[in-house]
Amino acid sequence: MGGGGGPPRPAAPLLPVLAVLAVLAAGAAEARATSESQLPGAAAMGTGTPPSPSGTAFEETRLHVFTLDYPHVQIPFEITLWILLASLAKIGFHLYHKLPSIVPESCLLILVGLLLGGIIFGAEEKSPPVMNSDVFFLYLLPPIVLDAGYFMPTRLFFENFGTIFWYAVVGTLWNAIGIGISLYGICQISAFGLTDITLLQNLLFGSLISAVDPVAVLAVFENIHVNEQLYILVFGESLLNDAITVVLYNLFKSFCQMRTIKVIDIFAGIANFFIVGIGGVLIGILLGFVAAFTTRFTHKIRVIEPLFVFLYSYLSYITAEMFHLSGIMAITACAMTMNKYVEENVSQKSYTTIKYFMKMLSSVSETLIFIFMGVSTVGKNHEWNWAFVSFTLLFCLIWRALGVFVLTQIINVFRTIPLTFKDQFIIAYGGLRGAICFSLVFLLPPAVFPRKKLFITAVIVVIFFTVFIQGITIRPLVEFLDVKRSNKKQPAVSEEIYNRFFDHVKTGIEDVCGHWGHNFWRDKFKKFDNKYLRRLLIRENQPKSSIVSLYKKLEIKHAIEMAESGMISKVPSSVSLSEYHEGKIKPLSPTEMENMREILTKNLYQIRHRTMSYNRHSLAADANEKQAKEILIRRRHSLRESLRKTNSLSRERPAAANTKRFLSLPKNTKLPEKLRVRNKTSSRVGDSSDSEMDAATTVLNLRPRAGKILRDQRLRQQRPPPEFRVEWKNEVDGSQDRQGEQQEPSTLPQPSIGFRQPLLTRPRFGTLSREDLTADHGSARPVPPPRLVRQASQGERQRNKPENQPY
Amino acid sequence: MGSAHSVPAEMRELADRTGFTSEQIEHLHRRFKQLSQDQLTIRKENFDSIPDLEFNPIRGKIVHAFFDKRNLRQESDGLADEINFEDFLTIMSYFRPIEMNMDEEQLDRFRKEKLKFLFHMYDSDHDGKITLQEYRNVVEELLSGNPHLEKESARSIADGAMMEAASICVGQMGPDQVYEGITFEDFLKMWQGIDIETKMHVRFLNMETIAHCY
Repeated sequence: MGGGGGPPRPAAPLLPVLAVLAVLAAGAAEARATSESQLPGAAAMGTGTPPSPSGTAFEETRLHVFTLDYPHVQIPFEITLWILLASLAKIGFHLYHKLPSIVPESCLLILVGLLLGGIIFGAEEKSPPVMNSDVFFLYLLPPIVLDAGYFMPTRLFFENFGTIFWYAVVGTLWNAIGIGISLYGICQISAFGLTDITLLQNLLFGSLISAVDPVAVLAVFENIHVNEQLYILVFGESLLNDAITVVLYNLFKSFCQMRTIKVIDIFAGIANFFIVGIGGVLIGILLGFVAAFTTRFTHKIRVIEPLFVFLYSYLSYITAEMFHLSGIMAITACAMTMNKYVEENVSQKSYTTIKYFMKMLSSVSETLIFIFMGVSTVGKNHEWNWAFVSFTLLFCLIWRALGVFVLTQIINVFRTIPLTFKDQFIIAYGGLRGAICFSLVFLLPPAVFPRKKLFITAVIVVIFFTVFIQGITIRPLVEFLDVKRSNKKQPAVSEEIYNRFFDHVKTGIEDVCGHWGHNFWRDKFKKFDNKYLRRLLIRENQPKSSIVSLYKKLEIKHAIEMAESGMISKVPSSVSLSEYHEGKIKPLSPTEMENMREILTKNLYQIRHRTMSYNRHSLAADANEKQAKEILIRRRHSLRESLRKTNSLSRERPAAANTKRFLSLPKNTKLPEKLRVRNKTSSRVGDSSDSEMDAATTVLNLRPRAGKILRDQRLRQQRPPPEFRVEWKNEVDGSQDRQGEQQEPSTLPQPSIGFRQPLLTRPRFGTLSREDLTADHGSARPVPPPRLVRQASQGERQRNKPENQPY
Repeated sequence: MGSAHSVPAEMRELADRTGFTSEQIEHLHRRFKQLSQDQLTIRKENFDSIPDLEFNPIRGKIVHAFFDKRNLRQESDGLADEINFEDFLTIMSYFRPIEMNMDEEQLDRFRKEKLKFLFHMYDSDHDGKITLQEYRNVVEELLSGNPHLEKESARSIADGAMMEAASICVGQMGPDQVYEGITFEDFLKMWQGIDIETKMHVRFLNMETIAHCY
């Protein structure tokens, strides 16, 4: 599709898009024609052959060589085409590098939808197929909410739960009633011709338009990267307000249809709210537990594990909808519950599948929703009334701003971190309306609402305004106001340690004060969780520490990174690669033979790696155990080789570079010995690869290549792995009995493999330096054997932890 | 409250010095009396009477922090044997929430104080830097609640974290450089992204929930 390496060619993807549009339009037209008149719609498709025999034929027809039977496949065909169109549009946008950063995708998608709607409308003078509210609520909305709930930062969410709840419930109430009443006031002014709209109708309208939409919020906030706190407030609000929206909507709708309203009904409404909200959450949690429990037993049938996740969450949604409870809250609760336990029960592959599939589904849903919104806008469903529409918009903005401001003043008293004006502004500005109000307005029964078209128009205007104007301007505003952005740095183990330490300190102090704060409850929950829930729901329950798991994750990740970057450091491989690619044809010297062989071995690995890894923009690459093993084998491999090369090199040039001192070879016999020693004590992973490596070493007998070695050394100078020196020190000492301490084998907790290249600076801690220095000086000039061994063993030590530093 | 501390003048002085309101001071005083069993001072043993603290993995360090003379703003070093109410308040003042009317400089000082408190908890030998051994100690204590974890893993984690710290604080080091330990400045650097001043506080409001039946 012309997306590749060259400059973006906008024309190319548009052609298929246009083609698809044409087909869709034609298909729609034809389908209608076919179904209406039972005539074969051959003309549009230009087949020119006799159609399939209709049911009423009583004359004999000859055997048809080629038939077209569109109605047979119409529905799946059209669905597929729609989804295809949506995805192609998405590709198209991303070709313009700058576009997604200026204009959020949602706007572009709506525009495409408008275009398409226009075409269909133009083609047949009728309103295009409006997005069915059922389709939206039952099929398009759940994946998005599921995705959001599954990846929700739970800790942050619960820390801010009070605020989120406050905004969602009281804020939405405030908005709904405020907008309803002020619109009613406007309607009373007879000049606008709106006097037939009753108070209740206005209140209903207010309730459906005050709902902040999670889809729109996600779509817009995704690109602007505000700090997590702000994001979770707006997003959490958009999720939780579903409960109140459902209640208010149903309440006012039934009120509109009832003749008299008694006080009891109002209380029933309030009770309904609690039932809707709490009931939804309970259903979600219950099904989440069932899902976790189910996955406990799926270790024999890994392939269908992801299915359970999706089925149970969808089940929670439609069960809640069945009882007219809040489906969004149910599915969010289910996802958040499942996430914790399922993650540990399913295999790595299943986990990746779940993540990836979820993202894909939600992406498709979101795209479709916006396109449908665009398509449905075009048509004859509108009634324009300047006053109503403009005042609706005005009141939406005013009441939202007022509401956020007033509510924040109140909630700041209870908050530990007060919200600043900037925060409030972004929260108010981020209150985007979207597809939910759109669908809700289409669901209004026209019998009760004679002015339904007016409502539709007003809703559309508000949605377009918020999505387009607010969506586009929020990014520059965020920059202008200098709102704190999320710092997407790599999760660091030290940070995790600090955070945990800090939590415990806080809890401890709270205990000393006798104060039951947040931490108290969180601690209590954790204890309960560990004691009962985890035992029940997780298959091989091992008490997990977030520090350890993070550490392991990072180790694996870095091992993968190392493999991708081509072993030791990025530059050598790319340099050698470029040399290769620029390959002028000349007779291959032995140097180049080595070069090529190196490249081949590296690339071979990478190719395999590529087929196994995913690369979606929001997912991190997950590691595979085997992969990581391989990486380490190869890494060790190449280190060995380079060592051997550097050995001969440094013998020839005892030159000035500092690092050279480290790069001399041990007597080769020493290596296997050390390896074997470690073999006995190292983990499973080590064992198999060790033997492999030994074998491999003997096979590969590469001769030194000056260029590469020099490069390597230069690079090693820049980022020399210190562990090498540090670790080895221990071995040296141990073997020479200098200090005779800590000859412990370093065993690893199973998956900890590899080591972080980027973190490898050269710290040496405490007393080590002095001893090292003396060692250095002692063996400086002639290449010191101990140093060498250190370097080599570093290779092996890749698997093992850097530790045992003599202190 | 039959002790001398309830005299309003003293209270006001305490309030000024530590920044608490008189209401909070009264609450904390009540708690102090509970802990000290109506004595004037608290010793380490008194902290044993807090049941929930037993489960805290870094219990030792927390209790230690109360008696650390550096935290008590005294010039000397080492550990005090017992602390009186004023010292108790001093320690608690590290956990005060920020006020909206603080200016930049005050906020900065506030933040530094809180971080210094944390730093002292890490640096157990009082030499002004967190060495690898001390760090390991911390990590081991943190993970001590986990019976399945081997000592080596805790150690390797600590080493890894120390490496990260070194790379953040010193960046690229020359081959002969030694990284002695995390000094307070480095510590500050590492906490730069995190709003410690907003996170590190306990709400001294709802003291009514104190379980008087401890």
